[in-house]
Amino acid sequence: MTLAAWLAVAVFASAYILIATEKLNRAAVALGGAAAMVAIGATRGHAMFFSEETGIDWNVIFLLFGMMIIVGILKETGVFEFLAIWSAQRAQARPFRMMVMLILITAVASALLDNVTTVLLVAPVTLLLCDRMALPPVPFLLAEAMASNIGGTATLIGDPPNIIIASRAGLSFNDFVVNLAPIVVVLLAVFIGLAWLLWGRRLAHDPERSSAVMALTPRETITNAALLRRMSLILALVLLGFVTHAVTHIEPSVIALLGAGAAILVSRLEPDTYLEDVEWETLLFFAGLFVMVGSLVHQGVIEQLARSVTSLIDGNYHVAAQGILVGSAVLSGIVDNIPYVATMSPLVHGLVGPAAGLPPEEASLWWALALGADLGGNATAIGASANVVVCGIAKRNGHPISFWEFTKYGLIVTAVTILCTVPYVTLRYF
Amino acid sequence: MRAIDLAEQVPTVHKETTGAEAARIVAEFRLNGLVVADDSGVPIAVIPGSQLLSVVLPQYVRDDPHLAHAYDEQAADDLCAKLTTVTIGDLIDAKRLTPAQLPRVEPDATVVEIVSAMSELHYPLIVVADQARFHGVVTMSRVLAAIAQAAGQDSDLIRRRLDKDIIDRGRSGYLSEAGGDTARGAGEDAR
Repeated sequence: MTLAAWLAVAVFASAYILIATEKLNRAAVALGGAAAMVAIGATRGHAMFFSEETGIDWNVIFLLFGMMIIVGILKETGVFEFLAIWSAQRAQARPFRMMVMLILITAVASALLDNVTTVLLVAPVTLLLCDRMALPPVPFLLAEAMASNIGGTATLIGDPPNIIIASRAGLSFNDFVVNLAPIVVVLLAVFIGLAWLLWGRRLAHDPERSSAVMALTPRETITNAALLRRMSLILALVLLGFVTHAVTHIEPSVIALLGAGAAILVSRLEPDTYLEDVEWETLLFFAGLFVMVGSLVHQGVIEQLARSVTSLIDGNYHVAAQGILVGSAVLSGIVDNIPYVATMSPLVHGLVGPAAGLPPEEASLWWALALGADLGGNATAIGASANVVVCGIAKRNGHPISFWEFTKYGLIVTAVTILCTVPYVTLRYF
Repeated sequence: MRAIDLAEQVPTVHKETTGAEAARIVAEFRLNGLVVADDSGVPIAVIPGSQLLSVVLPQYVRDDPHLAHAYDEQAADDLCAKLTTVTIGDLIDAKRLTPAQLPRVEPDATVVEIVSAMSELHYPLIVVADQARFHGVVTMSRVLAAIAQAAGQDSDLIRRRLDKDIIDRGRSGYLSEAGGDTARGAGEDAR
């Protein structure tokens, strides 16, 4: 390797350590790392801005941006609060039934929107419900964080790692639904069983307290019914756009941007309102990360690594897929799964190439990466962005969740879900 | 007019005062902010009235204002009742009240200096103190009364506002029964 390549590896490793230890703001680290890559000559302007392989993946950035605006406007209607309170009342405000309903709502919403936004919306309602029922909110919040990671695994837009994988592998929305949604349904059923064992059986039911939840007025939370109707139509059209990609060939990022534009037009909200929900820090983090990983690709580091791994695999894709599945689950628990997948995607690309036209046993590497990284995010409090958000909300409301408290349950959930996924990968692709 | 001329005695609370008592004091004396004093009566913080209002709301409702619509009357009453179990000190410790560094002007500060400090800090009360002692508090309504009088908008009520301190008006009027132990004049102990 050249000197520039070694320097690029050093910059990348240093930035990775800083991101993993969370000593500094992750966007600042990623952008600082990108600047260092430019300074050492590991990348250039054209490679950074105009190459999907060696620079910023604008499809990912704008898909996230578009969905953030759509969700930001949808949020203004109060529909999430309505759904959560309504579901708790449908469960007769019995603690475990309520937990199951919240798990299902969180998982489905995470699959259709994105998991961070979903937990941001569901967690405050959960605190209200638990407050009314004098129940400890932490088990519910933990269950929701984990349900969001499991549910988000099902679709292209459900979890940020999936967006990166889809873009790098050339996978469509339907590919994700066909390959990942079946196992996610199974995993959700398993997770509900785990939730009973871990938390549900210890939640006491107090009929008097339950009546306090039954007295809440969920319909009142819908503050703009007209906007809700319009936004439901736009969201349905956006999802239709994702599903019909094979026919229309319109990129998911373009569909999300068109949906965001339509949402802005019909909502007539002030820019401050819908731009408030755009997580600029996350978008900058992605941009910096793409430049850093792109620099490694540009310098041939990833290609060399892929060659070494290819000779190690020696055509045994079954072992490789299971190795990626379990390895990704372990590593995603240690570092945020977004930088992990951003790094691994070019490597998998180097091993098997784009997913289109690949035989199932080779394509399985892409699905193993998605499953391992998404489900592995449940292992620790820093494994996925949704976990960090839930812990932050819990702390702000006087119910701090320590790293170890999350990890204690997260490790069990991750181990069980990965154990269920291992035979799925074998049966489905080999 | 100088700050020393505008300074008045207002009821103060302590860290041990409950949220409900603080709400009562603000309501009784029609205050637009609360002065928190230490055990010797020396002001240590000022809390704007808007912050006190938001204390009624749990953090999760402040995070998601849509949830406010879900409360029925009983649930709303239950929320208010919770204020009897938390103290001002608890609320400050939990960062639900965030009193800034004591907003202060010198006794010889002019009306312009007082207005400038109040607008810069967005505080409706400002403490008048020098190195030696506290002289009292200038409230927004009293400084506006002074401004109105200087601008030729004098009246009996304006003069009454400038002559009588909040705490005296409270004691002499319909609030006389409600003064309570917790309501003490800011700076009274220091005089």
